[in-house]
Amino acid sequence: MSAFEKFLAGWSFRGSKPDYAAGDVIEVMVTGEGDRSGEVVARIGDSTLRIEGAPEDALNTRIIVDVESWDDATHTGRATYRKTVGESAF
Amino acid sequence: MTETRDAAPPATDGGEPPDGSEFGVGDQDSDGPRIEFRGGKWASTVPLVFFIAWAIFQSGVLGIGDTNGLVVGALIGTTLGMFLVRGDWKAYADTIFEGMTQRVAATAIVAWLWAGMFAETLQVGGFVGGLIFAADALNVGATTFPAAAFILCGLLATGIGTGYGATVAFVTLFFPAGVLIGANPVLLFAAILSGAVFGDNLAPVSDTTIVSAVTQDADIGGVVASRFKYAISAAIPAFAAYLIAGSVMSGVELEGAVALRESANALGLVHLLSMGIVILTAVAGRHIVEAISWGLLVAIGFNLLFGLSSASDIVAFTVTEAGALSGLPVVVVGETAGVGGSLYAGAVGFFPLIVLTLLIVAMAQIMIRGGGFEAIQTFLLDRVATTVRRAELTMVLGTAAINGMITINTAAEIAIAPYVARIGEKFNINGYRRANILDANTSALGYIFPWAGGVLVGYQVMVGPDGLGAEYGPEMIVNPIEVVPYVFHGWFLVAIFILAAITGFGREYIPDRVSEEVSRA
Repeated sequence: MSAFEKFLAGWSFRGSKPDYAAGDVIEVMVTGEGDRSGEVVARIGDSTLRIEGAPEDALNTRIIVDVESWDDATHTGRATYRKTVGESAF
Repeated sequence: MTETRDAAPPATDGGEPPDGSEFGVGDQDSDGPRIEFRGGKWASTVPLVFFIAWAIFQSGVLGIGDTNGLVVGALIGTTLGMFLVRGDWKAYADTIFEGMTQRVAATAIVAWLWAGMFAETLQVGGFVGGLIFAADALNVGATTFPAAAFILCGLLATGIGTGYGATVAFVTLFFPAGVLIGANPVLLFAAILSGAVFGDNLAPVSDTTIVSAVTQDADIGGVVASRFKYAISAAIPAFAAYLIAGSVMSGVELEGAVALRESANALGLVHLLSMGIVILTAVAGRHIVEAISWGLLVAIGFNLLFGLSSASDIVAFTVTEAGALSGLPVVVVGETAGVGGSLYAGAVGFFPLIVLTLLIVAMAQIMIRGGGFEAIQTFLLDRVATTVRRAELTMVLGTAAINGMITINTAAEIAIAPYVARIGEKFNINGYRRANILDANTSALGYIFPWAGGVLVGYQVMVGPDGLGAEYGPEMIVNPIEVVPYVFHGWFLVAIFILAAITGFGREYIPDRVSEEVSRA
């Protein structure tokens, strides 16, 4: 991103329930445990992404995931863990 | 999405990155508290709560803006907490070290030291005189003086990064000139404070900007660029408000006149270039140490080339007797031996804040290890911050509340930063957005209320022994409480962030754009 683009980023009104699409590769912070064994959850705004295949200690880490499916009506989706890239700021 | 990193952040000392396993870092949420306190996990909040109470008493109640005093409060609080620990106190002592060696503190400290040297070098290089020249050249009159003061003080504060320093410089030099030509003193003081808010909020070399970025895992240049939209959205209406209020509010009658030209120096304006170099190189993605170093080199070059300062204004070795080396430009003969100059004074000026920061992060770590941090965080996430909008409002109002109480705003910012990080992360709110929420109220409220540090330093210039009141009379003294409604930029900044949390203006999520790694801050 160029310096000019950095100044222009975020000049918009962003909704509370962002949507994604199958095939997206995104970085998320893991924010909770899922209902099923081995599943973790990334809450993005008020949308929810369920992630499979993440390490056991994935909570509060930043990971790259492949979005497998997304439901625009419920603002929920499923994704697969790809790799860990960082952790919580604190 | 821009950049990602594949490994844990490097250790600040160049060694192996600490994995923290010895202390349970990384799995603190799943493990039980590592330090057991008498009275349960809430007792782990005692050091920080004691410190906050001390800070409120010292700065809020007594109006004493002494960072060294806060250091003592933090030391006593940290000691008190130890007596509440069950079992071996060694674990508590170890946690103090663990907190102090966190990367977030080291990153801020490094940035402050460089920023301090740069800011002081601009000061000795006649930057203020340059701005006064600009006001004089633009033929600013009584009604437009407050609006001009807002812009010029904003420029100075953006250049030197310290709103307190800009306030002192402008109240000393600019304020009496404006009042004497008929500007309203209350409005003019408020306009200067607004300029200080602007610079404290936006400058890459500002202590609050640095803390907001490094505590939210974001690079400083990126934070400044992303912050511009909020700063300018508040600054434009604030400028208009000063123009309108300036034409409505009348000045006071005073005899005599201060010639602006006395302290005006056109050459001082070259430091707009020094300042621009730091901002542009930081935003372009260079490490903040590199960005400031370039700015510093250019500023020193300008100072020496144009005679804005002497070499000994920048570095001075003072000896008591003339000798073989006293002919060197940086060696001066004086009454007391010592080292001085802008590089020295700029860096040393941050020492109290550095010590305080180390103690605050140590106290926060004690809260984390004792379970108090998680208890508060759980309460906030379960009861208050239940949606992203409420989470952002919690972050905005939380920073406002603590900054309203602890009026040395950087200290308040460091104390609330972990909560802003965790609450924001729980909703995948981008590091830039979190940093901006954290810094807006920190900058604004530090210059609005009568007990705020920024207001007090300006007031001190008026009422001090050789202050403006003694020199010009009581008309030159402004009651701090009268200023409150007129710090337009501060109020507009607070309002914009409340609106931004409600409407989603400027909101970015982590998947939208990854903050460039903090290792290059």
